[in-house]
Amino acid sequence: MIKRVFAFIDEDAKKEIRRNLLKAVAIPGYIVPFSSREMPVARGWGTGGLQISLSLLQEDDCIKVTDQGCDGSVNAVNIRDFITSVSGVKATVNTRDATIIQTRHRIPEHPLTEDQILVFQVPYPEVLTMVEPDMAKQKQIHADSDYSKLWVLLYEDTSQYGDSRISNRYPVEINSHYMMDPSPIPKYDIARLNNSPALQLFGAGREKRLYAIPPYTRVTPLKFNDRPFIVEDFKGKSCKRCGAEGIFLDEIHTTGSVHYFCSDTEFCDNKLKEAKDAIER
Amino acid sequence: MLLNVKELTKVYGQFCADCLLLTGVEQNTTICPRCKSVIAINRVNFSLKGNEVLGIVGESGSGKSTLLQLIYQDIKANSGQIIYNGLSTTQDTGFDLLDCTTTERSFLRNIEMSMIYQSPTLGLNYLFSAGGNVAEKIIGSGERRYKVIRERVIRLLKRLELPDSRVDDYPDAFSGGQQQRIQIAKALSSSPKLLLLDEPTTGLDLSVQAKLLDLIRELQQEMSFAMIVVSHDLGVINHLTDVTMVMKHGSLVEYGLTDQILEDPQHPYTQLLVSSIL
Repeated sequence: MIKRVFAFIDEDAKKEIRRNLLKAVAIPGYIVPFSSREMPVARGWGTGGLQISLSLLQEDDCIKVTDQGCDGSVNAVNIRDFITSVSGVKATVNTRDATIIQTRHRIPEHPLTEDQILVFQVPYPEVLTMVEPDMAKQKQIHADSDYSKLWVLLYEDTSQYGDSRISNRYPVEINSHYMMDPSPIPKYDIARLNNSPALQLFGAGREKRLYAIPPYTRVTPLKFNDRPFIVEDFKGKSCKRCGAEGIFLDEIHTTGSVHYFCSDTEFCDNKLKEAKDAIER
Repeated sequence: MLLNVKELTKVYGQFCADCLLLTGVEQNTTICPRCKSVIAINRVNFSLKGNEVLGIVGESGSGKSTLLQLIYQDIKANSGQIIYNGLSTTQDTGFDLLDCTTTERSFLRNIEMSMIYQSPTLGLNYLFSAGGNVAEKIIGSGERRYKVIRERVIRLLKRLELPDSRVDDYPDAFSGGQQQRIQIAKALSSSPKLLLLDEPTTGLDLSVQAKLLDLIRELQQEMSFAMIVVSHDLGVINHLTDVTMVMKHGSLVEYGLTDQILEDPQHPYTQLLVSSIL
């Protein structure tokens, strides 16, 4: 009988991923290449995040997987089930209970702690692709920290449309050196990357790249000194289900009307549960 | 002296020990007979004062443009020194461009000096608007306030006689002469101490040429930067420069005041060049 390896990936591959993660943490925002093994999921479906999660996993960990704030989406459920089946660790939807949170395109609403690791699934790791397609030149730009081309993009959007046209994947500067692609999180989440107590790791399986933001690191969006950074505005709107305000909402269009719901389903469920508990008491 | 160039050499090929001796004006070749390397620049020495305008003339393949590219760090020299004295902190010792790090190199290219290429396609990014191209250089020099950048872009383009209603148009929507003026606006936007011009008016209509040369001359006096102008057109050299050097086969043939060189050329090659003006 074949002995099954804990958490699917063999120890040598895990070692390679962990070593590259250490390098990524040591140089905040720097893109580190890694081997990106075959996973039983197609590349581009969260394999970067999955490999990071599996290589970090220990027996007493508790995993949460969320997809655009939703723990119940097909991808989130399947990745979560896969992780628990190959490792036997506990799974949760509760942000507070999780030690490792794998996420696609959102940061959970509930504030994270120093004991947690947030793992992002990244489709396009290189922030410069839209202004400089040449990979050798991209490396040089990162080395020189000379991002004037990204700034020109912001300048042109500002002069023609009044503000940047980038709605997600908004370029951020890490620790006053590297510009980084924060994965397609909304602008609302950008400020929440800054000074986070949790370690934030980013994995792009298809592109074979990973990078990191260590805890309590300065993260600033690309913006002119005399211009505000404008995020999604939900003023006067609240979740139709739980009534929450001032958080990131999903806009649902049905025939003739628009409804708003919490993007983070766990946050929404928790709010409802708290309200119910209060009534019962 | 703003710039001191000493024994500057650029070789394409394996660079054998005899390369430099077997090529040059006297040998009448740039190709080393032993190793077949091309000696593009052969031990060139010259210096440039604070707001002096230097012209470089010579036939095609004499190394004029290569020399300019070496100074602008587009290509790396094989040996020699390019001492830049424009940085106030290194006033006493000077700063060798050949020893600088890539960070220092981009600082020099973004702030201290600018290059205007013969073809606007080399100097402009056609994916950015005209204003964006100028803004790139201003941003590169460290400015991070939108209002300041925008105002400076519009002021510069206006100074170069481009209407401010066209600031956000893309370069390919402009005529050749206008594109060249965008390139000049971009080059001047960081207030450089040294401007390098590689055949700035070649390929332009004669009437446009004259206007552009006047404008460059005016701007040079207004902002008082040093210039190195490469041209094979002695008219351009006569119009713009104070000092001229003549190059042939990668070597310096003659060096002196522009009037002197044009009126009383000493070297046979310069005599030939001057006498062949149409």
